Amino acid sequence: MLKISGIHKTFNPGTVNEVHALRGVDLTIEEGSFVVVLGMNGSGKSTLLNAVAGSFRVDEGSIKLDDRDVTKWPEHRRAAMIGRVFQNPFSGTAPDMSIAENFAMAASRGKTRGLGWALSKGLMDALRDRVATLKMGLEDRLDNAIGSLSGGQRQALTLLMASWIKPALLLLDEHTAALDPKSADQVIELSKEVIEKDGLTTLMVTHSMQQAVNLGDRIIMMHRGQIAHDFRGAEKKRLRAEDLLDCFEEIRRREQLDESAAAMLEQLYI
Amino acid sequence: MTLLLGAFTIGLILSLLAMGVYVSFRIFDVPDITTDGSITLGAAIAAVLLVNGYNPLVATAAAAVGGAVAGSLTGVLHTRFKINALLSGILVMTALYSVNLHVMGRSNIPLMQARTLTSYSEKAGQWLIGANEFNLFGWRVGAGDAAVLVMALLAAIIVGYALYLFFRTNMGTAMRATGNNAQMIRALGANVERNIILGLALSNGLVALSGALLAQYQGFADAQMGIGMVVWGLASVIIGEALVGGSSLGLTIIGTILGSVLFRLLVAIALRWGLNPNDLKLITALFVFAALVLPRLMRQMKARPRSAA
Ligand SMILES: Nc1ncnc2c1ncn2[C@@H]1O[C@H](COP(=O)(O)OP(=O)(O)O)[C@@H](O)[C@H]1O
Ligand SMILES: [Mg+2]
Repeated sequence: MLKISGIHKTFNPGTVNEVHALRGVDLTIEEGSFVVVLGMNGSGKSTLLNAVAGSFRVDEGSIKLDDRDVTKWPEHRRAAMIGRVFQNPFSGTAPDMSIAENFAMAASRGKTRGLGWALSKGLMDALRDRVATLKMGLEDRLDNAIGSLSGGQRQALTLLMASWIKPALLLLDEHTAALDPKSADQVIELSKEVIEKDGLTTLMVTHSMQQAVNLGDRIIMMHRGQIAHDFRGAEKKRLRAEDLLDCFEEIRRREQLDESAAAMLEQLYI
Repeated sequence: MTLLLGAFTIGLILSLLAMGVYVSFRIFDVPDITTDGSITLGAAIAAVLLVNGYNPLVATAAAAVGGAVAGSLTGVLHTRFKINALLSGILVMTALYSVNLHVMGRSNIPLMQARTLTSYSEKAGQWLIGANEFNLFGWRVGAGDAAVLVMALLAAIIVGYALYLFFRTNMGTAMRATGNNAQMIRALGANVERNIILGLALSNGLVALSGALLAQYQGFADAQMGIGMVVWGLASVIIGEALVGGSSLGLTIIGTILGSVLFRLLVAIALRWGLNPNDLKLITALFVFAALVLPRLMRQMKARPRSAA
Protein backbone atom coordinates (compact mmCIF):
# COMPACT_ATOMS: atom_id res chain seq x y z
CA MET A 1 0.00 0.00 0.00
CA LEU A 2 1.19 3.49 -0.87
CA LYS A 3 0.16 6.47 1.22
CA ILE A 4 1.21 9.93 0.03
CA SER A 5 0.25 12.82 2.30
CA GLY A 6 0.51 16.47 1.39
CA ILE A 7 3.72 16.37 -0.60
CA HIS A 8 5.19 19.52 -2.13
CA LYS A 9 8.18 19.91 -4.41
CA THR A 10 9.70 23.09 -5.77
CA PHE A 11 12.57 22.85 -8.25
CA ASN A 12 15.23 25.57 -8.30
CA PRO A 13 13.65 27.55 -5.46
CA GLY A 14 14.50 31.22 -5.35
CA THR A 15 15.70 31.38 -8.95
CA VAL A 16 14.06 32.50 -12.18
CA ASN A 17 13.64 28.81 -13.00
CA GLU A 18 11.58 28.12 -9.90
CA VAL A 19 8.88 25.51 -10.58
CA HIS A 20 6.37 24.46 -7.96
CA ALA A 21 5.91 21.03 -9.51
CA LEU A 22 3.94 19.29 -6.74
CA ARG A 23 1.44 21.37 -4.78
CA GLY A 24 0.07 19.23 -2.02
CA VAL A 25 -0.60 15.78 -3.41
CA ASP A 26 -2.59 13.33 -1.25
CA LEU A 27 -2.99 9.84 -2.62
CA THR A 28 -3.60 6.47 -1.07
CA ILE A 29 -3.31 3.38 -3.22
CA GLU A 30 -4.54 0.09 -1.82
CA GLU A 31 -2.59 -3.12 -2.11
CA GLY A 32 -3.03 -4.63 -5.57
CA SER A 33 -4.61 -1.53 -7.09
CA PHE A 34 -3.56 -0.49 -10.61
CA VAL A 35 -3.73 3.28 -10.95
CA VAL A 36 -3.39 5.10 -14.27
CA VAL A 37 -2.06 8.68 -14.12
CA LEU A 38 -3.14 11.16 -16.78
CA GLY A 39 -2.40 14.85 -17.19
CA MET A 40 -1.06 17.42 -19.58
CA ASN A 41 2.64 17.91 -20.23
CA GLY A 42 4.29 19.49 -17.24
CA SER A 43 1.43 18.72 -14.87
CA GLY A 44 3.79 16.87 -12.53
CA LYS A 45 3.18 13.20 -13.36
CA SER A 46 6.83 12.24 -13.63
CA THR A 47 7.67 14.39 -10.64
CA LEU A 48 5.11 12.48 -8.60
CA LEU A 49 6.61 9.13 -9.59
CA ASN A 50 10.14 10.41 -8.98
CA ALA A 51 9.11 11.65 -5.54
CA VAL A 52 7.79 8.19 -4.69
CA ALA A 53 10.90 6.50 -6.08
CA GLY A 54 13.12 8.87 -4.12
CA SER A 55 14.96 10.59 -6.98
CA PHE A 56 14.78 13.67 -4.73
CA ARG A 57 13.49 14.54 -1.28
CA VAL A 58 10.09 16.22 -1.11
CA ASP A 59 9.95 19.64 0.57
CA GLU A 60 6.87 18.82 2.64
CA GLY A 61 4.64 15.87 3.34
CA SER A 62 5.29 12.19 3.78
CA ILE A 63 5.41 9.01 1.74
CA LYS A 64 4.60 5.63 3.27
CA LEU A 65 5.08 2.35 1.51
CA ASP A 66 3.75 -0.83 3.12
CA ASP A 67 3.48 1.02 6.44
CA ARG A 68 7.06 2.14 6.34
CA ASP A 69 7.80 5.83 6.26
CA VAL A 70 10.22 6.11 3.34
CA THR A 71 10.11 9.92 3.08
CA LYS A 72 13.77 10.25 4.06
CA TRP A 73 15.07 7.08 2.46
CA PRO A 74 17.54 7.51 -0.41
CA GLU A 75 16.47 6.19 -3.80
CA HIS A 76 18.64 3.07 -3.73
CA ARG A 77 17.14 2.02 -0.40
CA ARG A 78 13.56 2.44 -1.61
CA ALA A 79 14.51 0.40 -4.66
CA ALA A 80 14.25 -2.71 -2.51
CA MET A 81 10.48 -2.19 -2.59
CA ILE A 82 10.00 -0.46 -5.95
CA GLY A 83 10.24 -1.70 -9.53
CA ARG A 84 10.57 0.94 -12.24
CA VAL A 85 10.30 1.29 -15.99
CA PHE A 86 11.25 4.65 -17.47
CA GLN A 87 9.99 6.41 -20.57
CA ASN A 88 13.36 6.22 -22.27
CA PRO A 89 14.30 2.62 -23.18
CA PHE A 90 17.94 3.61 -22.59
CA SER A 91 17.31 4.50 -18.96
CA GLY A 92 16.33 1.11 -17.58
CA THR A 93 19.13 -1.09 -18.87
CA ALA A 94 22.93 -1.06 -18.93
CA PRO A 95 23.56 -1.09 -22.71
CA ASP A 96 27.07 -2.55 -22.81
CA MET A 97 26.25 -5.41 -20.47
CA SER A 98 24.58 -8.63 -21.52
CA ILE A 99 20.89 -9.38 -21.13
CA ALA A 100 21.80 -11.96 -18.49
CA GLU A 101 23.95 -9.52 -16.52
CA ASN A 102 21.19 -6.93 -16.56
CA PHE A 103 18.83 -9.52 -15.12
CA ALA A 104 21.40 -10.57 -12.55
CA MET A 105 21.30 -7.02 -11.22
CA ALA A 106 17.51 -7.09 -11.24
CA ALA A 107 17.54 -10.39 -9.37
CA SER A 108 19.61 -8.78 -6.61
CA ARG A 109 17.50 -5.62 -6.38
CA GLY A 110 17.56 -4.36 -2.82
CA LYS A 111 19.89 -7.13 -1.62
CA THR A 112 23.48 -6.83 -0.50
CA ARG A 113 25.64 -7.57 -3.52
CA GLY A 114 28.54 -9.71 -2.37
CA LEU A 115 31.17 -11.88 -3.98
CA GLY A 116 28.84 -14.60 -5.25
CA TRP A 117 28.75 -15.15 -9.03
CA ALA A 118 26.33 -12.80 -10.71
CA LEU A 119 25.33 -15.39 -13.31
CA SER A 120 24.38 -18.51 -11.39
CA LYS A 121 23.06 -21.55 -13.22
CA GLY A 122 19.72 -21.25 -11.46
CA LEU A 123 19.29 -17.68 -12.62
CA MET A 124 20.23 -18.51 -16.20
CA ASP A 125 17.70 -21.35 -16.37
CA ALA A 126 14.89 -19.29 -14.87
CA LEU A 127 15.83 -16.40 -17.13
CA ARG A 128 15.78 -18.49 -20.29
CA ASP A 129 12.31 -19.79 -19.45
CA ARG A 130 10.91 -16.40 -18.58
CA VAL A 131 12.41 -14.60 -21.59
CA ALA A 132 11.14 -17.35 -23.89
CA THR A 133 7.56 -16.43 -22.91
CA LEU A 134 8.12 -13.06 -24.62
CA LYS A 135 8.36 -14.93 -27.95
CA MET A 136 10.96 -12.47 -29.18
CA GLY A 137 13.67 -15.08 -29.68
CA LEU A 138 15.80 -13.42 -27.01
CA GLU A 139 16.27 -16.59 -24.94
CA ASP A 140 19.12 -17.59 -27.26
CA ARG A 141 20.76 -14.18 -27.05
CA LEU A 142 21.16 -13.82 -23.29
CA ASP A 143 24.89 -13.15 -23.70
CA ASN A 144 24.34 -10.32 -26.19
CA ALA A 145 24.72 -6.73 -25.12
CA ILE A 146 21.28 -5.43 -24.24
CA GLY A 147 22.11 -2.20 -26.12
CA SER A 148 21.92 -4.11 -29.40
CA LEU A 149 18.17 -4.68 -28.98
CA SER A 150 15.29 -2.53 -30.19
CA GLY A 151 13.53 -0.09 -27.89
CA GLY A 152 10.49 -2.35 -27.62
CA GLN A 153 12.60 -5.36 -26.69
CA ARG A 154 14.47 -3.33 -24.11
CA GLN A 155 11.26 -2.04 -22.52
CA ALA A 156 9.83 -5.56 -22.41
CA LEU A 157 12.98 -6.80 -20.69
CA THR A 158 13.05 -3.82 -18.32
CA LEU A 159 9.50 -4.69 -17.32
CA LEU A 160 10.52 -8.27 -16.56
CA MET A 161 13.52 -6.94 -14.63
CA ALA A 162 11.38 -4.57 -12.58
CA SER A 163 9.10 -7.43 -11.55
CA TRP A 164 11.68 -10.21 -11.26
CA ILE A 165 11.57 -9.77 -7.50
CA LYS A 166 7.99 -8.89 -6.64
CA PRO A 167 7.96 -5.16 -5.89
CA ALA A 168 5.65 -3.61 -3.30
CA LEU A 169 5.05 -0.95 -5.94
CA LEU A 170 5.55 -0.84 -9.70
CA LEU A 171 6.16 2.57 -11.30
CA LEU A 172 5.67 2.91 -15.06
CA ASP A 173 6.31 6.36 -16.52
CA GLU A 174 5.04 6.57 -20.11
CA HIS A 175 7.01 3.42 -20.71
CA THR A 176 5.53 2.94 -24.19
CA ALA A 177 5.69 6.57 -25.35
CA ALA A 178 9.01 6.18 -27.15
CA LEU A 179 7.96 3.03 -29.02
CA ASP A 180 6.33 2.43 -32.38
CA PRO A 181 2.62 1.54 -32.12
CA LYS A 182 3.14 -2.19 -32.56
CA SER A 183 5.86 -2.48 -29.92
CA ALA A 184 3.85 -0.21 -27.65
CA ASP A 185 0.91 -2.61 -27.86
CA GLN A 186 3.16 -5.57 -27.12
CA VAL A 187 4.65 -3.86 -24.08
CA ILE A 188 1.21 -2.84 -22.83
CA GLU A 189 -0.03 -6.42 -23.15
CA LEU A 190 3.01 -7.62 -21.25
CA SER A 191 2.50 -4.97 -18.56
CA LYS A 192 -1.05 -6.15 -18.10
CA GLU A 193 0.05 -9.76 -17.83
CA VAL A 194 2.86 -9.03 -15.36
CA ILE A 195 0.67 -6.82 -13.17
CA GLU A 196 -2.26 -9.23 -13.12
CA LYS A 197 -0.17 -12.33 -12.51
CA ASP A 198 1.23 -11.06 -9.21
CA GLY A 199 -1.48 -8.52 -8.43
CA LEU A 200 1.15 -5.76 -8.36
CA THR A 201 0.31 -2.40 -6.84
CA THR A 202 0.97 -0.14 -9.83
CA LEU A 203 1.21 3.51 -10.71
CA MET A 204 1.31 3.98 -14.48
CA VAL A 205 1.62 7.29 -16.32
CA THR A 206 0.31 7.39 -19.88
CA HIS A 207 -0.84 9.97 -22.38
CA SER A 208 -3.13 7.48 -24.11
CA MET A 209 -6.81 7.84 -23.13
CA GLN A 210 -7.42 4.44 -24.66
CA GLN A 211 -4.85 2.78 -22.39
CA ALA A 212 -6.33 4.65 -19.46
CA VAL A 213 -9.86 3.33 -19.99
CA ASN A 214 -8.74 -0.19 -20.90
CA LEU A 215 -6.31 -0.69 -18.04
CA GLY A 216 -6.34 -0.48 -14.30
CA ASP A 217 -9.03 0.07 -11.72
CA ARG A 218 -8.52 3.76 -11.06
CA ILE A 219 -7.58 6.91 -12.97
CA ILE A 220 -6.14 10.06 -11.46
CA MET A 221 -5.74 13.20 -13.51
CA MET A 222 -2.99 15.61 -12.55
CA HIS A 223 -3.14 19.33 -13.17
CA ARG A 224 -0.57 21.90 -12.08
CA GLY A 225 0.97 19.70 -9.46
CA GLN A 226 -2.29 18.55 -7.94
CA ILE A 227 -4.77 15.75 -8.44
CA ALA A 228 -7.65 17.33 -10.34
CA HIS A 229 -9.80 14.21 -10.83
CA ASP A 230 -9.94 10.78 -9.28
CA PHE A 231 -12.11 8.12 -10.94
CA ARG A 232 -12.46 4.75 -9.25
CA GLY A 233 -14.69 1.74 -8.88
CA ALA A 234 -17.81 1.66 -10.99
CA GLU A 235 -17.23 5.18 -12.23
CA LYS A 236 -13.84 4.18 -13.66
CA LYS A 237 -15.39 1.11 -15.30
CA ARG A 238 -18.03 3.26 -17.03
CA LEU A 239 -15.53 5.84 -18.18
CA ARG A 240 -14.95 6.14 -21.94
CA ALA A 241 -12.09 7.84 -23.74
CA GLU A 242 -14.43 10.67 -24.78
CA ASP A 243 -15.26 11.43 -21.14
CA LEU A 244 -11.58 11.82 -20.42
CA LEU A 245 -11.14 14.08 -23.42
CA ASP A 246 -14.00 16.23 -22.11
CA CYS A 247 -12.23 16.41 -18.79
CA PHE A 248 -9.07 17.63 -20.50
CA GLU A 249 -11.08 20.11 -22.54
CA GLU A 250 -12.62 21.52 -19.41
CA ILE A 251 -9.25 21.89 -17.74
CA ARG A 252 -7.94 23.65 -20.81
CA ARG A 253 -10.92 26.00 -20.92
CA ARG A 254 -10.45 26.90 -17.28
CA GLU A 255 -6.79 27.45 -18.00
CA GLN A 256 -7.52 29.84 -20.84
CA LEU A 257 -10.08 31.60 -18.71
CA ASP A 258 -7.46 32.03 -16.03
CA GLU A 259 -5.02 33.35 -18.56
CA SER A 260 -7.37 35.83 -20.18
CA ALA A 261 -8.45 37.00 -16.75
CA ALA A 262 -4.83 37.48 -15.78
CA ALA A 263 -4.17 39.40 -18.99
CA MET A 264 -7.15 41.63 -18.30
CA LEU A 265 -6.04 42.33 -14.75
CA GLU A 266 -2.57 43.06 -15.99
CA GLN A 267 -3.86 45.61 -18.52
CA LEU A 268 -6.05 47.25 -15.94
CA TYR A 269 -3.58 47.56 -13.13
CA ILE A 270 -0.04 47.49 -14.51
CA MET B 1 68.50 -8.98 -25.22
CA THR B 2 68.71 -7.50 -21.74
CA LEU B 3 67.05 -4.43 -23.18
CA LEU B 4 64.21 -6.49 -24.57
CA LEU B 5 63.76 -8.38 -21.29
CA GLY B 6 63.73 -5.10 -19.44
CA ALA B 7 61.08 -3.64 -21.74
CA PHE B 8 58.91 -6.72 -21.26
CA THR B 9 59.31 -6.60 -17.49
CA ILE B 10 58.47 -2.92 -17.18
CA GLY B 11 55.58 -3.35 -19.60
CA LEU B 12 54.18 -6.11 -17.40
CA ILE B 13 54.70 -4.17 -14.19
CA LEU B 14 52.99 -1.14 -15.71
CA SER B 15 50.17 -3.35 -16.94
CA LEU B 16 48.93 -3.26 -13.34
CA LEU B 17 48.74 0.51 -13.68
CA ALA B 18 47.04 0.11 -17.04
CA MET B 19 44.45 -2.20 -15.45
CA GLY B 20 43.88 0.41 -12.78
CA VAL B 21 43.32 3.04 -15.46
CA TYR B 22 41.08 0.58 -17.28
CA VAL B 23 38.91 0.35 -14.15
CA SER B 24 38.58 4.12 -13.71
CA PHE B 25 38.52 5.17 -17.36
CA ARG B 26 36.64 2.37 -19.08
CA ILE B 27 34.46 0.90 -16.33
CA PHE B 28 33.62 4.10 -14.47
CA ASP B 29 34.19 6.51 -17.36
CA VAL B 30 36.30 8.75 -15.12
CA PRO B 31 39.68 9.95 -16.43
CA ASP B 32 41.24 9.70 -12.99
CA ILE B 33 44.45 11.69 -12.72
CA THR B 34 44.91 10.57 -9.10
CA THR B 35 46.90 7.87 -10.90
CA ASP B 36 49.90 10.20 -11.27
CA GLY B 37 50.03 10.64 -7.51
CA SER B 38 49.13 7.15 -6.41
CA ILE B 39 51.82 5.37 -8.45
CA THR B 40 54.38 7.52 -6.67
CA LEU B 41 52.62 6.95 -3.35
CA GLY B 42 52.88 3.20 -3.90
CA ALA B 43 56.57 3.48 -4.71
CA ALA B 44 57.18 5.77 -1.71
CA ILE B 45 55.41 3.57 0.84
CA ALA B 46 57.10 0.43 -0.43
CA ALA B 47 60.53 2.10 -0.52
CA VAL B 48 60.34 3.47 3.00
CA LEU B 49 59.18 0.16 4.43
CA LEU B 50 61.83 -1.77 2.49
CA VAL B 51 64.62 0.50 3.61
CA ASN B 52 63.45 -0.07 7.16
CA GLY B 53 63.74 -3.79 6.67
CA TYR B 54 60.12 -4.81 6.31
CA ASN B 55 59.24 -7.92 4.36
CA PRO B 56 58.85 -6.99 0.65
CA LEU B 57 55.42 -8.61 0.48
CA VAL B 58 54.25 -6.55 3.45
CA ALA B 59 55.72 -3.39 1.92
CA THR B 60 54.06 -4.07 -1.42
CA ALA B 61 50.67 -4.80 0.14
CA ALA B 62 50.90 -1.65 2.26
CA ALA B 63 51.58 0.34 -0.90
CA ALA B 64 48.42 -1.02 -2.54
CA VAL B 65 46.38 -0.11 0.53
CA GLY B 66 47.82 3.42 0.44
CA GLY B 67 46.79 3.80 -3.20
CA ALA B 68 43.30 2.55 -2.39
CA VAL B 69 42.96 5.18 0.33
CA ALA B 70 44.05 7.91 -2.11
CA GLY B 71 41.56 6.67 -4.71
CA SER B 72 38.70 6.57 -2.24
CA LEU B 73 39.53 10.16 -1.27
CA THR B 74 39.07 11.19 -4.88
CA GLY B 75 35.82 9.25 -4.90
CA VAL B 76 34.60 11.02 -1.77
CA LEU B 77 35.44 14.46 -3.21
CA HIS B 78 33.57 13.56 -6.37
CA THR B 79 30.47 11.89 -4.92
CA ARG B 80 29.98 13.47 -1.50
CA PHE B 81 31.21 16.98 -2.27
CA LYS B 82 29.94 16.95 -5.86
CA ILE B 83 33.25 18.12 -7.29
CA ASN B 84 33.80 17.32 -10.96
CA ALA B 85 35.61 13.97 -11.28
CA LEU B 86 38.59 15.37 -13.14
CA LEU B 87 39.04 18.18 -10.61
CA SER B 88 38.71 15.76 -7.68
CA GLY B 89 41.56 13.75 -9.17
CA ILE B 90 43.67 16.86 -9.72
CA LEU B 91 43.16 17.95 -6.11
CA VAL B 92 44.17 14.59 -4.65
CA MET B 93 47.08 14.25 -7.06
CA THR B 94 48.37 17.68 -6.04
CA ALA B 95 47.96 16.91 -2.35
CA LEU B 96 49.71 13.57 -2.86
CA TYR B 97 52.79 15.33 -4.14
CA SER B 98 53.39 16.76 -0.67
CA VAL B 99 52.28 13.57 1.04
CA ASN B 100 54.74 11.55 -1.02
CA LEU B 101 57.62 13.86 -0.11
CA HIS B 102 56.66 13.50 3.55
CA VAL B 103 56.46 9.73 3.30
CA MET B 104 59.88 9.53 1.64
CA GLY B 105 61.46 12.32 3.66
CA ARG B 106 63.41 13.34 0.56
CA SER B 107 62.80 13.28 -3.15
CA ASN B 108 64.56 10.00 -3.93
CA ILE B 109 65.10 6.74 -2.06
CA PRO B 110 67.56 4.25 -3.54
CA LEU B 111 66.78 0.58 -2.91
CA MET B 112 70.07 -0.94 -4.02
CA GLN B 113 70.90 -2.26 -0.56
CA ALA B 114 67.39 -3.29 0.41
CA ARG B 115 65.98 -6.77 0.03
CA THR B 116 63.11 -6.46 -2.43
CA LEU B 117 60.83 -8.72 -4.42
CA THR B 118 63.22 -8.14 -7.31
CA SER B 119 66.30 -9.21 -5.39
CA TYR B 120 64.50 -12.28 -4.06
CA SER B 121 63.35 -13.23 -7.56
CA GLU B 122 66.84 -12.77 -8.95
CA LYS B 123 68.29 -15.04 -6.28
CA ALA B 124 65.57 -17.60 -6.84
CA GLY B 125 66.26 -17.54 -10.58
CA GLN B 126 69.98 -17.99 -10.17
CA TRP B 127 69.43 -20.82 -7.71
CA LEU B 128 66.92 -22.59 -9.97
CA ILE B 129 69.06 -22.31 -13.10
CA GLY B 130 72.29 -22.82 -11.19
CA ALA B 131 74.20 -20.16 -13.10
CA ASN B 132 74.21 -16.39 -13.55
CA GLU B 133 73.43 -16.68 -17.23
CA PHE B 134 71.87 -19.21 -19.54
CA ASN B 135 71.33 -19.70 -23.22
CA LEU B 136 67.92 -18.91 -24.69
CA PHE B 137 67.61 -19.59 -28.43
CA GLY B 138 71.21 -18.48 -28.88
CA TRP B 139 71.06 -15.40 -26.66
CA ARG B 140 72.89 -15.02 -23.37
CA VAL B 141 70.22 -14.27 -20.81
CA GLY B 142 70.77 -13.28 -17.19
CA ALA B 143 69.07 -15.81 -14.91
CA GLY B 144 68.09 -13.05 -12.51
CA ASP B 145 66.57 -10.92 -15.26
CA ALA B 146 64.59 -13.88 -16.56
CA ALA B 147 63.30 -14.69 -13.08
CA VAL B 148 62.15 -11.11 -12.53
CA LEU B 149 60.36 -11.18 -15.87
CA VAL B 150 58.58 -14.38 -14.86
CA MET B 151 57.55 -12.80 -11.56
CA ALA B 152 56.18 -9.74 -13.36
CA LEU B 153 54.31 -11.99 -15.77
CA LEU B 154 52.83 -13.91 -12.85
CA ALA B 155 51.80 -10.69 -11.14
CA ALA B 156 50.06 -9.43 -14.29
CA ILE B 157 48.27 -12.73 -14.85
CA ILE B 158 47.15 -13.11 -11.24
CA VAL B 159 45.94 -9.52 -10.95
CA GLY B 160 44.25 -9.62 -14.37
CA TYR B 161 42.50 -12.90 -13.58
CA ALA B 162 41.43 -11.70 -10.13
CA LEU B 163 40.03 -8.54 -11.70
CA TYR B 164 38.15 -10.61 -14.27
CA LEU B 165 36.67 -12.84 -11.57
CA PHE B 166 35.76 -9.88 -9.38
CA PHE B 167 33.88 -8.11 -12.13
CA ARG B 168 31.74 -11.19 -12.62
CA THR B 169 30.55 -11.30 -9.02
CA ASN B 170 27.38 -9.54 -7.94
CA MET B 171 29.41 -6.71 -6.44
CA GLY B 172 31.64 -6.36 -9.49
CA THR B 173 28.75 -6.54 -11.93
CA ALA B 174 26.96 -3.78 -10.03
CA MET B 175 30.14 -1.70 -10.27
CA ARG B 176 30.27 -2.16 -14.03
CA ALA B 177 26.61 -1.22 -14.25
CA THR B 178 27.36 1.89 -12.19
CA GLY B 179 29.73 3.10 -14.90
CA ASN B 180 27.46 1.98 -17.72
CA ASN B 181 24.11 3.37 -16.52
CA ALA B 182 23.99 4.86 -13.04
CA GLN B 183 20.26 5.58 -13.22
CA MET B 184 19.49 1.94 -13.95
CA ILE B 185 21.58 0.44 -11.19
CA ARG B 186 20.36 3.00 -8.67
CA ALA B 187 16.79 2.01 -9.50
CA LEU B 188 17.91 -1.56 -8.81
CA GLY B 189 19.06 -0.65 -5.35
CA ALA B 190 22.79 -0.01 -5.71
CA ASN B 191 24.49 2.79 -3.83
CA VAL B 192 26.06 4.48 -6.83
CA GLU B 193 28.19 6.85 -4.77
CA ARG B 194 29.66 4.04 -2.71
CA ASN B 195 30.36 2.01 -5.85
CA ILE B 196 32.27 4.90 -7.42
CA ILE B 197 34.36 5.32 -4.26
CA LEU B 198 35.10 1.58 -4.18
CA GLY B 199 35.92 1.60 -7.89
CA LEU B 200 38.41 4.44 -7.60
CA ALA B 201 39.91 2.74 -4.53
CA LEU B 202 40.37 -0.46 -6.54
CA SER B 203 41.82 1.47 -9.48
CA ASN B 204 44.36 3.39 -7.44
CA GLY B 205 45.18 0.33 -5.34
CA LEU B 206 46.28 -1.37 -8.56
CA VAL B 207 48.19 1.73 -9.64
CA ALA B 208 50.05 1.93 -6.32
CA LEU B 209 50.80 -1.79 -6.50
CA SER B 210 52.32 -1.13 -9.89
CA GLY B 211 54.34 1.73 -8.40
CA ALA B 212 55.64 -0.48 -5.59
CA LEU B 213 56.78 -3.15 -8.05
CA LEU B 214 58.29 -0.55 -10.37
CA ALA B 215 60.32 0.98 -7.54
CA GLN B 216 61.64 -2.45 -6.59
CA TYR B 217 62.49 -3.24 -10.19
CA GLN B 218 64.27 -0.01 -11.06
CA GLY B 219 65.88 0.16 -7.62
CA PHE B 220 64.58 3.52 -6.42
CA ALA B 221 61.50 5.56 -5.67
CA ASP B 222 61.34 9.11 -6.94
CA ALA B 223 58.92 11.94 -6.22
CA GLN B 224 58.71 12.74 -9.95
CA MET B 225 58.05 9.23 -11.23
CA GLY B 226 54.27 9.66 -11.54
CA ILE B 227 54.19 12.52 -14.01
CA GLY B 228 52.11 11.63 -17.05
CA MET B 229 51.47 8.06 -15.94
CA VAL B 230 47.71 8.30 -16.35
CA VAL B 231 48.22 9.10 -20.03
CA TRP B 232 50.57 6.16 -20.24
CA GLY B 233 47.82 3.98 -18.82
CA LEU B 234 45.27 5.37 -21.27
CA ALA B 235 47.60 4.65 -24.17
CA SER B 236 47.96 1.05 -23.01
CA VAL B 237 44.21 0.60 -22.64
CA ILE B 238 43.58 2.05 -26.10
CA ILE B 239 46.28 -0.04 -27.77
CA GLY B 240 44.88 -3.08 -25.99
CA GLU B 241 41.40 -2.46 -27.31
CA ALA B 242 42.77 -2.16 -30.83
CA LEU B 243 44.75 -5.40 -30.34
CA VAL B 244 41.91 -7.62 -29.14
CA GLY B 245 39.10 -5.87 -30.97
CA GLY B 246 36.39 -7.24 -28.69
CA SER B 247 34.60 -5.49 -25.92
CA SER B 248 34.02 -8.45 -23.61
CA LEU B 249 35.38 -8.14 -20.11
CA GLY B 250 37.98 -10.89 -20.37
CA LEU B 251 39.28 -9.73 -23.74
CA THR B 252 39.66 -6.11 -22.70
CA ILE B 253 41.62 -7.07 -19.58
CA ILE B 254 43.95 -9.28 -21.64
CA GLY B 255 44.17 -6.47 -24.19
CA THR B 256 45.16 -3.98 -21.51
CA ILE B 257 48.07 -6.19 -20.42
CA LEU B 258 49.17 -6.76 -24.01
CA GLY B 259 48.74 -3.07 -24.76
CA SER B 260 51.00 -2.07 -21.89
CA VAL B 261 53.72 -4.49 -22.96
CA LEU B 262 53.49 -3.53 -26.62
CA PHE B 263 53.58 0.16 -25.80
CA ARG B 264 56.67 -0.30 -23.64
CA LEU B 265 58.37 -2.27 -26.40
CA LEU B 266 57.59 0.43 -28.96
CA VAL B 267 59.01 3.04 -26.61
CA ALA B 268 62.17 0.97 -26.03
CA ILE B 269 62.65 0.58 -29.77
CA ALA B 270 62.06 4.27 -30.41
CA LEU B 271 64.57 5.21 -27.71
CA ARG B 272 67.07 2.79 -29.22
CA TRP B 273 66.61 4.50 -32.58
CA GLY B 274 67.60 7.77 -31.04
CA LEU B 275 64.33 9.26 -29.79
CA ASN B 276 65.11 11.98 -27.28
CA PRO B 277 63.79 10.69 -23.91
CA ASN B 278 62.59 14.22 -23.17
CA ASP B 279 60.09 13.88 -26.02
CA LEU B 280 58.58 10.71 -24.63
CA LYS B 281 55.67 12.31 -22.76
CA LEU B 282 54.89 14.58 -25.69
CA ILE B 283 54.71 11.66 -28.04
CA THR B 284 52.61 9.63 -25.60
CA ALA B 285 50.17 12.52 -25.30
CA LEU B 286 50.02 12.93 -29.09
CA PHE B 287 49.42 9.23 -29.46
CA VAL B 288 46.50 9.21 -27.02
CA PHE B 289 45.11 12.31 -28.68
CA ALA B 290 45.19 10.60 -32.05
CA ALA B 291 43.67 7.41 -30.65
CA LEU B 292 40.82 9.38 -29.10
CA VAL B 293 40.11 11.53 -32.13
CA LEU B 294 40.79 9.25 -35.10
CA PRO B 295 37.87 6.84 -34.59
CA ARG B 296 35.42 9.76 -34.57
CA LEU B 297 37.01 11.31 -37.66
CA MET B 298 36.80 7.99 -39.46
CA ARG B 299 33.12 7.66 -38.59
CA GLN B 300 32.47 11.15 -39.89
CA MET B 301 34.31 10.37 -43.12
CA LYS B 302 32.20 7.26 -43.58
CA ALA B 303 28.96 9.05 -42.73
CA ARG B 304 29.63 11.89 -45.16
CA PRO B 305 27.50 11.40 -48.25
CA ARG B 306 29.51 10.75 -51.38
CA SER B 307 29.24 13.33 -54.15
CA ALA B 308 26.82 12.16 -56.80
CA ALA B 309 28.49 9.95 -59.35
N1 LIG C 1 14.62 17.87 -12.18
C1 LIG C 1 13.89 18.97 -12.48
N2 LIG C 1 14.44 20.19 -12.38
C2 LIG C 1 13.73 21.30 -12.67
N3 LIG C 1 12.46 21.29 -13.08
C3 LIG C 1 11.84 20.09 -13.19
C4 LIG C 1 12.53 18.87 -12.91
N4 LIG C 1 11.68 17.84 -13.12
C5 LIG C 1 10.52 18.39 -13.52
N5 LIG C 1 10.60 19.74 -13.56
C6 LIG C 1 9.52 20.67 -13.91
O1 LIG C 1 8.39 20.31 -13.16
C7 LIG C 1 7.22 20.43 -13.94
C8 LIG C 1 6.53 19.08 -13.98
O2 LIG C 1 7.30 18.21 -14.76
P1 LIG C 1 6.96 16.68 -14.98
O3 LIG C 1 6.63 16.06 -13.70
O4 LIG C 1 8.09 16.09 -15.74
O5 LIG C 1 5.66 16.75 -15.91
P2 LIG C 1 4.91 15.58 -16.68
O6 LIG C 1 3.54 15.61 -16.12
O7 LIG C 1 4.92 15.98 -18.12
O8 LIG C 1 5.62 14.31 -16.43
C9 LIG C 1 7.65 20.91 -15.30
O9 LIG C 1 7.46 22.29 -15.36
C10 LIG C 1 9.10 20.57 -15.36
O10 LIG C 1 9.80 21.48 -16.16
MG1 LIG D 1 6.64 12.97 -17.73
